[in-house]
Amino acid sequence: MANLEVPKELREEARKHDMYLTPISKDTYELFFGPQHMATENFSIILKMDGNRIERAIVNPGFLHRGFEKLAEQRPYFTNIALILRICVPESDVPENIYSMAVDEIMGWEVPERAIWIRTTVLEMARLSAWMFWIMGFGNEIGLYTAGQWAAAYRERLMRLFEELTGGRVYHIYTVPGGVRRDIPGDRWLRQLRDTVEYIKSKLKDFDEILFDNYIMFERTEGVGVMDKRFALKHAVTGPNLRAVGVPYDVRKDDPYYLYPELDFEVPVLKEGDSLARVLVRRYEIEQDLYILEQLLDMGPPSGPYMVQDPKLKNLPRFKVPAGDAYAHVESTKGDFGVYMVSNGTHKPYRVHFRGPSQSHGVTVLEELLKGARLADVPVILKTLDNCPPDIDR
Amino acid sequence: MTMPARVVGEEKVKIKKSFVKPWMGIKYLFKKPVTIKIPFEKIEPAPKYRGFHTLDWKKCVGCNFCGQICPARAIEMTWLEVDGKMEKRPHPKVDYGRCTFCQFCVDVCPTGALGFTEAYYLSTGGSEEDLELFNWVPIHPDKVRELNEKFGDYRFPVEKIEKKADGTYVYHLRDGSTIEFKILGYGIRPPKKPTPTKPTAKTAEKKETKPAEKKENVKQAEKKEGA
Repeated sequence: MANLEVPKELREEARKHDMYLTPISKDTYELFFGPQHMATENFSIILKMDGNRIERAIVNPGFLHRGFEKLAEQRPYFTNIALILRICVPESDVPENIYSMAVDEIMGWEVPERAIWIRTTVLEMARLSAWMFWIMGFGNEIGLYTAGQWAAAYRERLMRLFEELTGGRVYHIYTVPGGVRRDIPGDRWLRQLRDTVEYIKSKLKDFDEILFDNYIMFERTEGVGVMDKRFALKHAVTGPNLRAVGVPYDVRKDDPYYLYPELDFEVPVLKEGDSLARVLVRRYEIEQDLYILEQLLDMGPPSGPYMVQDPKLKNLPRFKVPAGDAYAHVESTKGDFGVYMVSNGTHKPYRVHFRGPSQSHGVTVLEELLKGARLADVPVILKTLDNCPPDIDR
Repeated sequence: MTMPARVVGEEKVKIKKSFVKPWMGIKYLFKKPVTIKIPFEKIEPAPKYRGFHTLDWKKCVGCNFCGQICPARAIEMTWLEVDGKMEKRPHPKVDYGRCTFCQFCVDVCPTGALGFTEAYYLSTGGSEEDLELFNWVPIHPDKVRELNEKFGDYRFPVEKIEKKADGTYVYHLRDGSTIEFKILGYGIRPPKKPTPTKPTAKTAEKKETKPAEKKENVKQAEKKEGA
């Protein structure tokens, strides 16, 4: 590393202003990674570099802090749906669903079967759409831009379906306590969904060819960012990242909700725990999601109402929930996503706490995994951990 | 009923790396692109896409449910005067700088006065007038639908909002017609009736402004003389 030495005057000035860029020695320096970098989305990492190796990484989140949990205490129950779904942008249905599940539990409602079917389908569609988003990011990070462009195009189809079902493209604001806000637009929509599922299924082979079978992908990910089982369990790693170290934990199997007990799917598990294992686990889960959606379409939506019939729902701004508390969690593409809600009997929640997977993946685990990694591996580790910056900041 | 987790391991999940397969992507060179050429082609929004609001002023009872449920606090109740008559109930005024297009306000509306259309274009030039455009009392749904059908580009139905000194607002719609009304006040409670102090205040303002202008004129004249 030549020419990294800062001139003497500049160094003194930097020391005066207490700037980070003061070099400790010739080859050691600090590097700000993000928040403009595409891989970090909206948070940054301060890397203490020794040449091309990372000595220490400090995560620097907070660019997306909006105080969701505090804001949720100041708004009526239904209004919060439009707020909390911003916690995870690629799959905004997950916060909606856990919130609604928690309120349903406190209210003691039995959500109608049709609403349950729609909710399950929407969750799976959100997962599929989030996988496409992940392929887009991951493909771009390792330099295989073609796969990323394809994934964006396929995600567009899912967004179109969401648009017809919910009225929104990214933020659906669809699942509410007691059911869903609108009925399915008709059989045409179901046919379109089946077409889309079949279309993406036929395109998976192309993804395999260009991205997952690609030797470049293997070269970039094999043996990068390795974590072992003990480390993962200690740091509360969940989701595909945990399955990649050999623990078959999936909320859909271990604490089933909605229609998942009736659905048939497999849980992929690998033992290596490196970036490659995480990628392969995710690849297999895309297949499984498509399979689940096919099963749901074969079942067909049961007839009946799509919303709970309750006189309390006539006055939504003053809709009161009895005192009590509930915990609900679902399996998102990032991991175990949960909410703990306490109600004190008024029309606003007393406390809403979210347990997001990105808190551990994006802060503690990332800092550990980045130690000793090369600079070029930072985006790979980031994207295979697959964190969601708004969930870290909350 | 819970099913035991069907775990699959290496034999199914692992795949072999290939040096040849990535080249198969070349076949896409001979396929049509999926992207479209905006603005020559356009995407139609889905029916019931959550866009701009509409309001039937006759149906609206001014219950402020929409203002209470609004997560972004974008709705303000407004007292209007149309053709010299004050409306009996306040009507919501929507600020699209804050609106999140969740349409909970439409869901809670007890009389079905508030509705929405598929029009969604929220882009303007950068001038102050253009930015003030997106803070309006929604107009009748039939009028908005008519405009949508006529132009078909899903833009904001109002072209210009003219604000007069006495609180009169004139909405210049895109087809040339206008809607004129007066905003008397904001809030759930009716505004106080206009007191006779108002005209005096106006005259006082005029009195104040006139001497200032004169002074300026004098100053300018002095400057000119000096030059």
